[in-house]
Amino acid sequence: MFGRNVKRMAVFMAALGLALGVSAGSAQAADTIKIAVPSPYTGSAAGFGENVKAGVAMKIDEVNAAGGVNGKKIEAVYLDEQCEPREAATVSSSIVNDPEIVGIVGHLCSSAHLAALPTYVREGIAAISPTATNISISDKNKDEQGKVWSFRNVYRDDFQGKFLADYIDKVMGLKKVAVFYENNDYGIGLKDAFVKEAKKLGLNVVGEEAYKKGDQDFTPQLTKLKGGAPQAMFIAGYYPEGALIADQAKKIGLNVPKFGADGFDNADYIKLGGAAADDTYLTAPFLADTAGPDAKKFIKDFKAKYNREVDWMSANAYDAAGMMVQAIAKVGPDRAKIRAYLAGMNTPEKGYKGVTGVNYFDANGDCQKPAFVKMVKDGKFVPAPKQMN
Amino acid sequence: MFEQQLVNGFTLGLIYALIAVGYTMVYGVIELINFAHGEIYMLGAFLTLSFISTGMPLALAVVLAMLAVAAIGVLLDVIAYRPLREAPRLAALITAIGMSIFLQNLAMIIWGSRPLPFPRQALPAFFNEPAFTFSDVTISWMQVIIYVVALLLMVALNLIITKTRIGTAMRALAQNRTAAALMGINVNRVISFTFAIGSGMGAVAGVMVSMYYNTMYPTMGYLAGVKAFAAAVLGGIGSVPGAMLGGVVLGIAETLGAGYISSPYRDGVAYAVMILVIIFRPSGFLGRSMVEKA
Repeated sequence: MFGRNVKRMAVFMAALGLALGVSAGSAQAADTIKIAVPSPYTGSAAGFGENVKAGVAMKIDEVNAAGGVNGKKIEAVYLDEQCEPREAATVSSSIVNDPEIVGIVGHLCSSAHLAALPTYVREGIAAISPTATNISISDKNKDEQGKVWSFRNVYRDDFQGKFLADYIDKVMGLKKVAVFYENNDYGIGLKDAFVKEAKKLGLNVVGEEAYKKGDQDFTPQLTKLKGGAPQAMFIAGYYPEGALIADQAKKIGLNVPKFGADGFDNADYIKLGGAAADDTYLTAPFLADTAGPDAKKFIKDFKAKYNREVDWMSANAYDAAGMMVQAIAKVGPDRAKIRAYLAGMNTPEKGYKGVTGVNYFDANGDCQKPAFVKMVKDGKFVPAPKQMN
Repeated sequence: MFEQQLVNGFTLGLIYALIAVGYTMVYGVIELINFAHGEIYMLGAFLTLSFISTGMPLALAVVLAMLAVAAIGVLLDVIAYRPLREAPRLAALITAIGMSIFLQNLAMIIWGSRPLPFPRQALPAFFNEPAFTFSDVTISWMQVIIYVVALLLMVALNLIITKTRIGTAMRALAQNRTAAALMGINVNRVISFTFAIGSGMGAVAGVMVSMYYNTMYPTMGYLAGVKAFAAAVLGGIGSVPGAMLGGVVLGIAETLGAGYISSPYRDGVAYAVMILVIIFRPSGFLGRSMVEKA
């Protein structure tokens, strides 16, 4: 009895192995090329994931409608990692173990990207993140030979934080700032860069408080910050909490201009924050009003397809997918060659001209892009009266 | 500033208390930590939103959502927990966690995963106006409404438990299920009633939270559920007045902890208070059984 079961098991295992072997072998001859898009599609950051997915899907649809790449269709595989480092690590193994996947657009969140990065570096597959802004990614994305495996077409937090401190000081002329940050890689990175630059400029940081993703009640921290009589508040985090912070600040009578980074750039910030969202300034890598003619068409097409205004994440994801497709078109579906091609995009001339401007990478895989400032006025995003470039 | 933190902490505490009551009642009658209770609270908010969007007045929408969620609570018990009544307790616990994940994702399928604002146009304009202002303390009408509704519901619940036949049956069940069944009590009906009451109260908490903060999202039940569970343990799991007291203590401790000790450790402060109390009073503030304390 027992013996027969073992035998059955062995036959089953052999069949399974055969099946897997056959499918792996046939991957080379498949007529689709896969790109993995690991992002949060459920959980509290799912709203962002939808934005990235919208941008990638639009690019892939366009490419496939035009006949694909070298006669093959491109397929995006959307893997949900909930913006959780633990989940991201799990997803990263399934990506590298799928021989059909030749490149990655993602991850969305810095903490998730950092958790998945070691796997990509070790196994040799290139990732372009359209959104992960944490600075430590630049140090952790190289293998032993110093090859970069993770690129991004978004600026870093140290740039954003510094930029906002400069903007508050030089453009707005405000001197006392309260800092309220989300207690994770993204929020802390922003806050550190901001505070460092503020000290250099002689800005007076009257309080630093933290909150956690998913919190709903911010009044204790806001009450404390209000005690320092700030003239401005820098909120280093994402829009769902940011909107609540703006609303509760207004309720306790802390009516000062609010400053946020790219994580605030979402139409829902205004929907959730209501009237309290007014007088918020934020950095954006992409501003529809300053965009060129290519971008204008993209903005129009995006609205037609998804029936909402384009946000910077969708625009960046559209370009990141575009770069990945271009790399595949130039060097074929080969992980190592794709990486080499991306690393070679190191000057504006060799860069990729996308809807967000020219995308090219430095020796750390980071991009050089300007930042724009937009603000909320009467319940709408408008370009800030003064830019600082 | 201290008084303001106290007022805000009390508001938060009453919300925790409303959710904690559901945990504690269900635990009292079937000794199960219903981990899907946080999702029940979330559904209260989302169903209210859906009812309002059909053009219903706010009060009616809240009452309907409360009834619908009470029915969902009963269904949850009938489908997921009743078949496991005699199974080891771990099986029911794992099922509860499974139901929690299921309901969360179901809500995402129905309402999407983005945070949604509470429809402000459905709220009377004065809700966000200050009701009372003393020197530097402001209490908004919304907070006043939370106080009034929460306290009314708790008084009503205490009356049901102490003064009605079904309340007596609930207490009998909490004491000894077998003996209660032998005395002719319809055990399943009483358990269903317990789920209905606890879920209805959780739903009201969900609506009030989303009004107060003007936002709701499918995963909002998780943290609220964990906090309310801590509040129930703090007050003594199984004790209804204990859950109320535990909720208020936890809300105030958390707010003062964030304001005076350290905001990054805000949740840590809440749990530290709970751990300290449990060390010195393992049964929580108000003992164990609904019978002695009711």
